[in-house]
Amino acid sequence: MTDPLLKIENLRIELKLRSGPIPVIDDLSLELNAGETLSFVGESGCGKSMTALAIMGLLPEKVGSIGGGRILFQGNDMARMNPAELRAIRGNEISMIFQEPMTSLNPVYTVGEQIAEVLRRHKGMGQADAWKRATELMDAVRIPNAKARVGDYPHQMSGGQRQRVMIAIALACAPKILIADEPTTALDVTVQAQIFDLLRDLGRDTGTATILITHDMGAVAEMADRMVVMYAGRKAEEGPVEPVISHPRHPYTKGLISCVPHLLAELTEERPDLTEVPGIVPSLGSFGADACLFASRCYMADAQCRNARPPEVAFGPQTSACWKADIV
Amino acid sequence: MSQIENIPVKARSPFSEAFEMFRRNHAAVVGLVVLAIIVAVAIVGPMVYPGNPFDMVWAPFTPPGQEGYLLGTDYLGRDILSLLIHGAKVSLTVGISAALVTVTIGITVGALAGFYLGWVEEVLMRVTEFFQVLPTLLFSMVIVALFGASLPMITLAIGLVSWPAVARITRAEFMRIRELEYVIAARAGGVKNAKLIFSVILPNALPPIIVQAALMVGSAILFEAGLSFLGLTDPNVASWGQIIGSNREYILDASYAVTVPGVAIFVTVLAISLVGDGLNDALNPKLRQR
Amino acid sequence: MTATLLNVENLSVRFPVKRRWGQSTWLYAVDDVSFEVKRGETLSIVGESGSGKTTAALGVARLVPNSAGHVVLGGEDFLKLEGEDLRRARAKIQMIFQDPYSSLNPRLRAEAIVREPMDSIGTAPVEDRPARVAELFEQVGLRPEQMKLFPHQFSGGQRQRIGIARALSTNPELIICDEAVSALDVAVQAQILNLLRRLQRDLGLTYLFISHDLGVVQHMSDHIAVMYMGKIVEYADRLSLFNDPKHPYTKALLSAVPSVDRARKVERMLIPGDPPDPLNPPKGCRFASRCPLVEDACRAAQPPLDPVGNDHRVACIKAS
Repeated sequence: MTDPLLKIENLRIELKLRSGPIPVIDDLSLELNAGETLSFVGESGCGKSMTALAIMGLLPEKVGSIGGGRILFQGNDMARMNPAELRAIRGNEISMIFQEPMTSLNPVYTVGEQIAEVLRRHKGMGQADAWKRATELMDAVRIPNAKARVGDYPHQMSGGQRQRVMIAIALACAPKILIADEPTTALDVTVQAQIFDLLRDLGRDTGTATILITHDMGAVAEMADRMVVMYAGRKAEEGPVEPVISHPRHPYTKGLISCVPHLLAELTEERPDLTEVPGIVPSLGSFGADACLFASRCYMADAQCRNARPPEVAFGPQTSACWKADIV
Repeated sequence: MSQIENIPVKARSPFSEAFEMFRRNHAAVVGLVVLAIIVAVAIVGPMVYPGNPFDMVWAPFTPPGQEGYLLGTDYLGRDILSLLIHGAKVSLTVGISAALVTVTIGITVGALAGFYLGWVEEVLMRVTEFFQVLPTLLFSMVIVALFGASLPMITLAIGLVSWPAVARITRAEFMRIRELEYVIAARAGGVKNAKLIFSVILPNALPPIIVQAALMVGSAILFEAGLSFLGLTDPNVASWGQIIGSNREYILDASYAVTVPGVAIFVTVLAISLVGDGLNDALNPKLRQR
Repeated sequence: MTATLLNVENLSVRFPVKRRWGQSTWLYAVDDVSFEVKRGETLSIVGESGSGKTTAALGVARLVPNSAGHVVLGGEDFLKLEGEDLRRARAKIQMIFQDPYSSLNPRLRAEAIVREPMDSIGTAPVEDRPARVAELFEQVGLRPEQMKLFPHQFSGGQRQRIGIARALSTNPELIICDEAVSALDVAVQAQILNLLRRLQRDLGLTYLFISHDLGVVQHMSDHIAVMYMGKIVEYADRLSLFNDPKHPYTKALLSAVPSVDRARKVERMLIPGDPPDPLNPPKGCRFASRCPLVEDACRAAQPPLDPVGNDHRVACIKAS
């Protein structure tokens, strides 16, 4: 077996508060293989984006820092790299697209200049070559009439087109990993479908591995090969998408799936109430506790859940950090 | 696990949170303390140090510390300490009243323009621009020259040339807030326009206006000093600017007579700026964590 | 048969838009739209950004200027009311908003926010208002000791509950929910959706539900109107719309939604491109530029919203 492309081992990210360091990511381990799509799922405040920023080496300084563990990219520990080494990887080998296509492009440069800039910086291309490649990339992300639109400014494009430009910038250097942080949350559903198709096709053609961060189980089912469900900075469940969705082994995963009204193949008159996951994600103050942090919202919780952190239990390729995983 | 469902039960008003934020800005706290001392001097000083500051008490140009006059005497033999203490009251009064004039005109014009939009806004903003492009010093000199150099007239002149900035801030805030959902909700709830302007939008628009008003007190003190220095002032009232102005010809012989009130102005305006900065921290919701 | 509560006829809402050289023109955000809402039911208006669904709701609530048409509620045309009559009539139509952070006045305590519509419209005797506020708090699942708190002390879901209590305070006949759950996390969203449905059952409420989320719409609605560029393109009851959509745009919209139901792996109907310029809408069918079934007749004239079945209307000449 070959080594995974990206391997995170026992990662701990700490937030410095006045009361002391708080682990916002607590003992997280996962692997990403070349060419696969891995999805991070969870509510806001569960550490999905924080993990992505840590992989990019973009943790906000003074706020968060790596408190332990390793982030191995092709066998090299990114947690110990200096800023210059990180810069060489960032945007080149690992790149990222964000939620807000309105603010992630610089409004004073044309989109062509912004794509070409990345090529010049990382690939050392000349002005003319970079511009030509930028046009090709615009075409690759299916912007109609790319030759003419490469000279457009961001405000001249629709939200969907801007997100395509962001994808073109992210893929300019043929990265090994693309991190997509809620890339379609700000877009309409028909545009989202276009972007998902594009990401899937590009992933297949270029062999880029994708980390898709989302809160939408439907998107996970449609896009990802494997998924990691995160809760309060910890991994709740991990596994291939199909078995996790059809038989979740963690009550949080189960709740996330059943609390959303999904479109069904055949709708009936019947309309039961949605399953509620009561309460909200716990406050940061309780993050380090030796307990299952989901216990306060869990219908199965008992004394054991409140007094000891559950270990991960494996069910074939699926793992769940729940004391009652076998009866979920 | 009570720590997880940590729903607060004690009401923390926006005011008490703002106070907490203000306290974290140490420079602002120092500024506030200095300002408090100056205000105390302005109020209590004349009682502790009575007498007419314009009285000649000793030989002119007595240097500081001699003959029991802590800050010396000026060219007419007047006690500079006495002038300074009585002047504090005058300068602060001018500063505060001018800021009040500014805020009153500015808020009224800005609120109406920002709330009603349309032709109301067009007209009011043209008027605002008219006052904004007037050369401020020249305009206030004209007012003072026409209507006499009395303190109320000087205050009014300063207010008249300063309000456009406040009007613009108020209008921008109103235009932003009037589109927020709680204002739409209030309209859907049948709230009348007057109440919408004064008790829904205005309180939420106040933070940047308060900061601006605080800084306005400082600039009004400077402006008054400038006018006094040019002699455009009530000669019968001792303001700090007036002390500088009247002693300016003797700046080489008795530099302390000009320096002392100058330092007083500097310290006061700096303290006001620091407090304004602290208010900005305290009232700016972007700096406040949720 | 349930009775019709709200009748919207030929509603248009336009905005002035400044163009170059000081010329101005009108943007029709809602263009000649008609629908009705039955008492005790939920009508959803669904569409993407720029479809005019929110503007239509604001038009019904008389919260945007430049509306034309009729909004008839209980025999009274809401669009014809002015001044005091309008202010008093506002008690009948209340709104729940999208953003739980900007929809509550940060300077007021929760109880004052809930009480405000009662005070300004005068729907309950002054001495009864505190008790009514307490009752509303209980109905939306908030604790009485939370009445004194300020909005920033609540979570997003709790704020939305305050917004719901405020909307209920005047005993409205119609409640407009404008993307009321789309800013919330999924778990909280389920709590609020269940609350809205429980209140509807208990109090017999009527909802006009605006949303872009087809899953939520499917769960909440009795009837659905699909909007595209200011026009209703399809109107149907819940089962017809989701099991048997007729308009190509509705079909594309439904097929674009990713779902966990593997049996729903219908063939994706991708519609290319973006909607046309709303300032310069096409003369014929507005969907013609992206429609896979388009033919010349589509570009010639706007298709009317014609019935294709019981309770099912479609604006497409190719629908049958």
